[in-house]
Amino acid sequence: MTHVPLVPIGAPRAEICDDATFCAHADALTQREAILAERRAEVAAGWGDKYVQRVHAKGKLTTRERLAQLADPGTRLFEVGTFVNYGERFGDKGLQSPGAGVVTAFAQIEGRWCMVIANDNTVASGSWWPRTPEKIERAQMMALRLRLPTVYLVDCSGLFLPEQSRSFPGAKGAGHIFKMNSLLSAHGVPQLAGVFGDCIAGGGYMPIISDRVYMTEQAYMVIAGAALIKGAKSQKITSLDIGGPEVHVHASRCADARVPDDATLLRALRQDVAKLPGSAAGYYRGDAGPMEPTFPSAELRGILPADHREAYDATEVLARLCDGSLFWEVMPHSGEEMICGIGRVGGLYAGFVINRQGLVGDPERPGARRPAGILYRAGIAKIAAFSRACNDDGIPLVWLQDIAGFDIGLEAEAQGLLGFGSSLIYTNSTNQVPMFTVLLRKASGAGYYAMAGLPYDPVVQLSTTISRLSVMEGRTLAIATYNTKLDDDFEIITQDPKERAQLEAGMKAVEARIEQDMDPYLAAQTLDTDEVVALPELRDYLRVLVEASYQSIGYRRIKNSRIWSLHDLQVLTAGPR
Amino acid sequence: MAAPATFHRLFIANRGEVAVRIATACDALGITPVFGVSEADADAAYLDGRESVRLGPGRATHSYLDPARVVQAARQSGCTALHPGWGFLAENPRFAALCESHGITFVGPPAHVMHLMGKKTPAKRAMAAAGLDLIPGSDGILADAEQAREVADRIGYPVLIKAESGGGGRGMRIARAPDEVAAAYADAQAEARAAFGDPRVYMERLVEGGRHIEIQVVGDRYGQAIHLGERDCTVQRNHQKLIEESPSPVLPEPVRARSLQAAVEATRRIGYVGAGTMEFLLDSDGVLRFMEMNTRLQVEHCVSEMRAGVDLVREQLRVAAGHALSLRQEQIELTGHAIECRINAEDPNDGFRPAPGTITRWQSPDAADGQVRVDTHVTSGYRIPPHYDSLICKVIARGNDRDAAIDQMLGALDQLICEGVPTTVPMHQAILASEDFRAHRYDTRKIPGWPV
Repeated sequence: MTHVPLVPIGAPRAEICDDATFCAHADALTQREAILAERRAEVAAGWGDKYVQRVHAKGKLTTRERLAQLADPGTRLFEVGTFVNYGERFGDKGLQSPGAGVVTAFAQIEGRWCMVIANDNTVASGSWWPRTPEKIERAQMMALRLRLPTVYLVDCSGLFLPEQSRSFPGAKGAGHIFKMNSLLSAHGVPQLAGVFGDCIAGGGYMPIISDRVYMTEQAYMVIAGAALIKGAKSQKITSLDIGGPEVHVHASRCADARVPDDATLLRALRQDVAKLPGSAAGYYRGDAGPMEPTFPSAELRGILPADHREAYDATEVLARLCDGSLFWEVMPHSGEEMICGIGRVGGLYAGFVINRQGLVGDPERPGARRPAGILYRAGIAKIAAFSRACNDDGIPLVWLQDIAGFDIGLEAEAQGLLGFGSSLIYTNSTNQVPMFTVLLRKASGAGYYAMAGLPYDPVVQLSTTISRLSVMEGRTLAIATYNTKLDDDFEIITQDPKERAQLEAGMKAVEARIEQDMDPYLAAQTLDTDEVVALPELRDYLRVLVEASYQSIGYRRIKNSRIWSLHDLQVLTAGPR
Repeated sequence: MAAPATFHRLFIANRGEVAVRIATACDALGITPVFGVSEADADAAYLDGRESVRLGPGRATHSYLDPARVVQAARQSGCTALHPGWGFLAENPRFAALCESHGITFVGPPAHVMHLMGKKTPAKRAMAAAGLDLIPGSDGILADAEQAREVADRIGYPVLIKAESGGGGRGMRIARAPDEVAAAYADAQAEARAAFGDPRVYMERLVEGGRHIEIQVVGDRYGQAIHLGERDCTVQRNHQKLIEESPSPVLPEPVRARSLQAAVEATRRIGYVGAGTMEFLLDSDGVLRFMEMNTRLQVEHCVSEMRAGVDLVREQLRVAAGHALSLRQEQIELTGHAIECRINAEDPNDGFRPAPGTITRWQSPDAADGQVRVDTHVTSGYRIPPHYDSLICKVIARGNDRDAAIDQMLGALDQLICEGVPTTVPMHQAILASEDFRAHRYDTRKIPGWPV
């Protein structure tokens, strides 16, 4: 049986929970997502109107305007790294750097998904802050993994010098951007660059390795600008004289073509992208096409309770992410705490792993129930096998986490969860297939690692506004910290009122600290997650990422569904027939 | 000519005259039809000598409307294709996708095209891009009440605010003047949110009356498409079509030619495969405006078949089996005038109350001379189950012109005998005989010549 036996899953929302519960959940999420929208708008505004006007006064477009002209009309950008450096202040003046001064986004250009990396010219003339290089390198890595054409819109006055020690020297320092340029080139990923303004030092290097480099008449690229050239002032030599199009398009040939202005440059880039091979997504869809879920993904807001202690039906989440709410669950009879299977997203097959909530059967004690949201032996073995099969078959893999961690205790150790976990880790670490991870809610400890959290190199990791990323929940961590002062039931042993109060305050402080650490914007600020997304747009993000995984033909094995190893797994685990 | 190689066994996921119609085409192509039937239909005479599989109880939700049961029955009976007919699951993209993922060819368009046409705003966008006129309205979803007001002022009153994920009239509000827009917008949105969990609404000018005209198209997998002319279905009762005819007696020739061509172009562009119908409203300005596309064969497809001499179901089956269309547009000649009356087991003198019961005596009109066609599943002694719609028969008549076709029809209806249950025949006779019908003095709101 080699077809992919998708079956209808999910139920209408009225059958899942009553209106009052649904609305209460939806309201909580809507409030959080309103804050997300506000914060995104804040980042998009850069340093504000004054700087927008300054850009316009020079006859240039702002970076956001450039992106709008570069992408296909009517499409949206799917940004990553929006909140890098969010809320942080730098230098003596305590300056903020919205978006770390660079926009990185998946953008559709002439029907092809591209990675666009664009210095934000409304934030300190596009200079590089601490973490700006990391953000750029992360976007380059996404492009490399998916073989997406990469477009640089360069307008960068160099490093923000007061903080140079935090962006220059390290393994991910600014220079690593050019190493990534080189790797992309070495792997045959098309790179295109438009130079729009000051490109000093690093800003000058970033475009050069690209296959095609355009310069506007206002653009210059220099190792050092006129400010550092002795005698430049008296000779009235400007940076434009040193490294403008007259020099680089004609004398040095470091750039390929000059264009009068921003709009023309963007048109030229679009024309070039149109000459690249088209997307193979249509080819891999075969006779299928994109179809929305039967149960709208906007309903996820009412299904996922913001309170991490409340359970929900994980199947209903899948039903709101997969085309037509159709899904093929493989190995359904073992490792009940995990659901593995195949669904279509935008007409293309993707593998899904999601863990259940609430209670599940305990295979060791027939009839008994135990909490889900935890990795047990069979679940670990199942997701490892599934991950390996998807990698074998070339099926992009989506991990949906709301996981508290591994099972613990004598039985867990005796069963060898460390070993099974290691096998899973080995699999996820060596997978070549694109993996995407979504922290739906809890992403705790080893659960976060086991389900392909960021340390295991998913191409992209998304958080929601209710994600909780930490080694463990605050209460557990407080217990671990104060272990020696607690009894078997984790109650404080001492009866001395003063000491008790001290201990209680200490434990509370630990809990509060962890609660704060779990803020998804904090993870996004430090690149510990790639983007915070609203639940109604989660499927849109996945659609783009899955389509991008199928776009570039030929570099990666994509097996047709007749020869999937998943069929073998299904036959082997369905029991004798 | 031998029938071309196609499916060996085909599952009919439908009942009554629909199932009979599909089986006839299967017979002509040498395909064995397998009827999926509910318990209420299991003993019907139209199944005599046929293979059938029990789907479930009489209630359609547990039989004809249950996607999983239907697909399972089709697989278990060894069918490789499934014809949904019309109604029931015919326009359910999820069902179409389910068939495909279980190795059964769904006779109809690809699931995603069906899905696209089922969504209002994208469907309209696609049609506008292909050059069809639309009912003036908002460009997609309305952002807020203020925008609603702006759009309404631009397109002219009265306006209709409709839910994007709507259906069945829910999430729909009319505003007849500027001061009604804000309230109508808020009401529609609230109802849409409550009913469909999706508060998005859009706006259209409310066209009251007008004539309902539709174009029959067929496409294949290789980008070819043809049309079989238009049908005029203006005679309606509560949006339920009663009489359909082709050509439309009131459609100006230049509009017809342009619209037919645009419909074919649209079919090609959206990658449509199989038979489909684009529904339009002919407004008082003589403009044919696209409303929606039905991604299935329709009850009244026989009207087009009578004029074109093409078997649409056979063409559907061939296309589904990967054949190219058997005809090019220039090979299709639409001749004369055809008209269809839907005969229901309802009492037209008693508010069209459905009248399930036993037909004690049935005699179809004589169809021997080829000018009359009768599509029915009933015979003497047939018991009409109460679970389904009350259509028992369609009579189609042809003539050189409209008057000749109407006279032919009146003759046929005279011959029709149905005893035991009331039918809508007397209503049809009154309509066809009326001066208003003959002189085209009616629109979708008014049945010409009825009540007498």
